[in-house]
Amino acid sequence: MEAFFWVVAIPATVSAVGVVMMRDTVYSALLLVVHLLAVAVLFVLLNAQLIAAVQVVVYAGAIMVLFLFVIMMLGLGRGEGVKEKLPLQRPVALLFGGAMAILLGVVMSQTTIQPVAGALTPGDVLAMGGNTQVVGRLLFSDYLLAFEVTSILLLVAIIGAVVLAKRRL
Amino acid sequence: MDFVRLVPGFPLLGVVLVALTGRFLGRRGTALVACGAVGLAFAVALGVTGALLQTPPESREVEVSLFTWAAVSDFQVDVSLLLDPLSAVMILVVSGVGFLIHVYSVGYMAQDPGFRRYFAYLNLFVFSMVILVLAGNFLLLYVGWELVGLCSYLLISFWYERKEAAKAGMKAFVTTRIGDFGFALGIFLIFATFHTLDYAEVFGSASQVLTTGLATAITLLLFLGAVGKSAQIPLYVWLPDAMEGPTPVSALIHAATMVTAGVYMVTRTHVLFELAPISMLVVAVIGAATAFYAATIATAQDDIKRVLAYSTISQLGYMFLAVGVGAYAAGIFHLTTHAFFKALMFLGAGSVMHALAGEQDIQKMGGLRWTMPLTSITFLAGWLAISGIPPFSGFFSKDEILASAFASGQILLWLVGVITAGITAFYMSRQVFLVFFGEPRYSQHTAIHAEHRSVPHESPWIMTIPLAILAVLAALGGFLGPVLEDFLGPVFAASEARQSLPPLNEAALIILSVAAAGLGIFIAWLGYIRRGVDPKLVAARLGLVYRLVRNKYYVDEVYHALLIRPVWQAASVLATAVDQAGIDGVVNALGSIMQSAGRGLRRVQTGFVRSYALIFLVGVLLVLAISTLR
Amino acid sequence: MPTTQELIAISPEIILALWALSVMFLDLLIAQSRKSILAYWSLLGLLLAGGAEFSLWGREEILFQGAFVQDNLSLFLDLVLLLATGLSLLMAKGYIKDLEMEHGEYYTLTLFATLGGMLMAGAGDLLIVFLGLEVLSLSLYVLSGFRRTEPMAQEASLKYFLLGAFASGFLLYGIALVFGSTGTTLLGGIAVAITEGGLLGDPLLLLGLGLLGVGLSFKVALVPFHMWTPDVYEGAPTPVAGYMSVVAKAAGFAAALRIFLSAFLQLAGDWTLLLSLLALLTMSGGNIIALAQSNMKRLLAYSSIAHAGYILLGVIALNSWGLSSVLFYLAAYGFMNLGAFAVIVALRDGEREYLALNDYAGLGSRHPLLALSMAIFMLSLAGVPPTAGFLAKFYIFGAAVQAGYGWLAILAVLNSVLAAFYYLRVIVIMYMREPAGQVAKMTHSPALALAIFLAVIGTVQLGLFPAAVVELAQASLFPFLGS
Repeated sequence: MEAFFWVVAIPATVSAVGVVMMRDTVYSALLLVVHLLAVAVLFVLLNAQLIAAVQVVVYAGAIMVLFLFVIMMLGLGRGEGVKEKLPLQRPVALLFGGAMAILLGVVMSQTTIQPVAGALTPGDVLAMGGNTQVVGRLLFSDYLLAFEVTSILLLVAIIGAVVLAKRRL
Repeated sequence: MDFVRLVPGFPLLGVVLVALTGRFLGRRGTALVACGAVGLAFAVALGVTGALLQTPPESREVEVSLFTWAAVSDFQVDVSLLLDPLSAVMILVVSGVGFLIHVYSVGYMAQDPGFRRYFAYLNLFVFSMVILVLAGNFLLLYVGWELVGLCSYLLISFWYERKEAAKAGMKAFVTTRIGDFGFALGIFLIFATFHTLDYAEVFGSASQVLTTGLATAITLLLFLGAVGKSAQIPLYVWLPDAMEGPTPVSALIHAATMVTAGVYMVTRTHVLFELAPISMLVVAVIGAATAFYAATIATAQDDIKRVLAYSTISQLGYMFLAVGVGAYAAGIFHLTTHAFFKALMFLGAGSVMHALAGEQDIQKMGGLRWTMPLTSITFLAGWLAISGIPPFSGFFSKDEILASAFASGQILLWLVGVITAGITAFYMSRQVFLVFFGEPRYSQHTAIHAEHRSVPHESPWIMTIPLAILAVLAALGGFLGPVLEDFLGPVFAASEARQSLPPLNEAALIILSVAAAGLGIFIAWLGYIRRGVDPKLVAARLGLVYRLVRNKYYVDEVYHALLIRPVWQAASVLATAVDQAGIDGVVNALGSIMQSAGRGLRRVQTGFVRSYALIFLVGVLLVLAISTLR
Repeated sequence: MPTTQELIAISPEIILALWALSVMFLDLLIAQSRKSILAYWSLLGLLLAGGAEFSLWGREEILFQGAFVQDNLSLFLDLVLLLATGLSLLMAKGYIKDLEMEHGEYYTLTLFATLGGMLMAGAGDLLIVFLGLEVLSLSLYVLSGFRRTEPMAQEASLKYFLLGAFASGFLLYGIALVFGSTGTTLLGGIAVAITEGGLLGDPLLLLGLGLLGVGLSFKVALVPFHMWTPDVYEGAPTPVAGYMSVVAKAAGFAAALRIFLSAFLQLAGDWTLLLSLLALLTMSGGNIIALAQSNMKRLLAYSSIAHAGYILLGVIALNSWGLSSVLFYLAAYGFMNLGAFAVIVALRDGEREYLALNDYAGLGSRHPLLALSMAIFMLSLAGVPPTAGFLAKFYIFGAAVQAGYGWLAILAVLNSVLAAFYYLRVIVIMYMREPAGQVAKMTHSPALALAIFLAVIGTVQLGLFPAAVVELAQASLFPFLGS
């Protein structure tokens, strides 16, 4: 399992970097699909099958398709290459980004993360009818408020999108 | 004595009435309300002082709490007024002199379009000043302190159409702000030490709680506030410029009352100052130095008001010298007499300017004693008082200060004081001789005048009556001395009384200081009446020294070059560097490019958003580094 | 299922959410010419929610398995938020009409944003903190770009969105690290885990806490996470900028108080150095740059940055005095800052706004009441007695002194000395400079006048008779710190 983690994690990271580095927006979008799929696999490794499925269906599927659709429709294809106004920014950003990565790495390597046992073992989950049922139950009990607030958040996002994008209100 | 609350109450009512209904009151009504408010305050002040006198001397201290103002946990500050002999004297001076100046202003400002605004500010000032002196705790003191500063600032730049006036207001504000910074810190330090800001509690436990070092720190910080407000070295630079305000304002705020707030504050907190000998010494030395320094500048100024301004700075120095050597009653005594004679002279100067269509250059005056008899006579009373000629008031109070300085063993400071007395007599005489004696020189200079009247005229009665009253007070006020010291006695009971000098020495001191004054007047007489010595020749002979004094030792220029310009430049550099998008030009240019190109947003923002994010990242790194690596 | 008691306890939030929805529906039924009805309708909702808050005062309810807490602290902060929202709606009514953006969505989003802030104030779970923050932020992103045809507004919206997303990323990462270290996102649970698990010096936890701090610092605009502020304030509609300056700040500090008090109180010693540094940078940075501003909205943006620095002092002091002074400061700041923004809103000629400092020249003689109000707000922001701003500063600095951070208090006093300069410059310009060229006009509107009037009353009232509010603020903190 440990080895398999690396098999998935490395492509996930590389594709994420690629999303940022690619000149061509279509390539970026496709690499993002790769990244999302890799993360979905990581969820499977964690026994979170439902989340993995959601990740694939919603993100890698629906959202990314929409994304590509928009890119191609607007003909954004190859970005015209934004002129860098402050050329020093890139190396400085790399420097600080690197410093932060090192800092995080050092801190992480100094701690051993104790796996915190969840309330339910995989066996329990199976006994309760599987992942989907358990998540559903939790959403409507312990995380009820968070669930409701999320629905408001989505509503706000929709309103916002309409307000900003619609030609006539 | 509960009705002491009416002393600030009436002026506050005056402000409200003038500000809200002044439009309907008309000029006459406005004047009546404003003067009436201060007059009533004076009447109440008299009443409460009388009531205070009825009680035995030891129990002459009443605290009237109006309401609880600020309270958190176990800490509480009330809006409370403290009436004791010290504050009683102060409210009498403030409301009394204030009332006379209000009345005078009715005549002086009669033609001014800002009549109503002027009286609203002036009433607000009286209110604030009364709050300052009646405050029963440090927080309320600070409130009064800030409010009088605000009023002073508003009134200096009252004629804001004049660029100079607006600038002077700003200068006053910034300079006193430095002092206020120290004052605020001092109050915080008191709070940190005592956990209370109430006078009674602080003074009561001061000797147990405070170490000498702490007391020194607190008092020096407080004194920094006094230095700013009372225009002492090195923060005196704002006061001469403050003369841009209307002359009655200079009389009330920048001579008689507000600038003495520092003296009052040091006197009020004398319990703390006594615990810090170093601070006392600093107060005395700064006072003596300022007295001398400002007096020298006054000898070479030609602006009638600026001479008086430097004279005020110098006299304030005397007061600090007094409180610095522990002669608090003498300090307050001089504060009182100074309020009389300096207000008198400012109002007199105003009357002269009124007559000469605003002329301020004493070189272009002369011979006015014939055309303005009342103004000249009253001004002469002020002149003799400040010069220290017996039996005029200034003689008694100044002599009291010099004797105290001598008795306390500060011979050097005493000597500076005596020399300054001579210089004071000289520059005041110079002014009097140039303005009221000799040949009229205004006709050839003041062409403006031909349009109205050909001859300078005496001011209307509404201006001369206050002058007359103040002249009487300036002349005879000195005899109040013993009464005043008796009355103030209990306040300073805890501090050591001054060792009285043997009568012979006392007499010798008096003779010396009167001789110094006489010498000063004599030299001025030689130079400006008899014309036996040509002042211009002397000035030329003195060369560099004269130029230095004439240009006020170039202190303004030095401050500007060393302090103001660098700070301003640093701020603009920072603003441009850090806030690059803030330059309007850039934003506007970007906006127009965007509109014309219509290319969407990307091109324009990316640069800035990225650099914002970069700075953000630096911040994150900083936060993480500090929170994890240590 | 939530119990009835839970529903009652969270009723202010429910009312607000329902009201926001009802505005959307009403919007469909009301003709464009009568949209201002929605403003009154929204105000009614705010009043109802406020009434519900009042009726809940004194209770301490832990709801939804600890995810939400309705106690005096959240009620006090909610009231500040509701008040600020009310003032900003009064300001907005005429403004959005004149600038042709009077759409029901404006009110809906404003109400939702306030709801987000209230959720942050009562959050008992890091998830709710995050969700509340996002509801608030998303609404604000859109509101700041509400004037859709204006390039500056689009720019503001986009900048805010990009940087806000960046900040949210850090916040979320912080939550993840805290979860990784403690195994829970419940604030109470975190406190327990820290004690029981011996996590006091755990680097992972500290890292998580640091990142949480970054996310919130962005929201309240601490230096160096402040860069967006002036641009966004400048580009956003003025009532929105005013709203943002108070509500986002209050909500950010609310969440910070919640998180630090309920979850990380034991780590208090670890963050003082960091917070002191941030406070110092924020006060000085904000004030120094504000000195050189010539645009009113940018000036207030930098001023609001500086005020966040002062408020931080109270958090650092971390005693009952300091924290109650944070609450008091937020209330005082709400009145005086929204008041100042309301004056800016008033100073316009239909669509044209007068934002340059020089446009204020001569205001004192042409619109004496408006100028007087502005002068009061400026004096209060500068901390001149006897205004609310003075007492608020006095409380905060006093708390810092009390807690032994005298050096911070000294620097803060020095800073407010510096700050007085640019606030006073506004007064100088209003009263002591003649207008050059075009004269700024004023738009009258009863609602706006009411907003300014209320703000003046609040500023003066809190300056002269602060006792009641201070008592409320102290009562709010009682459960956390004892007396």
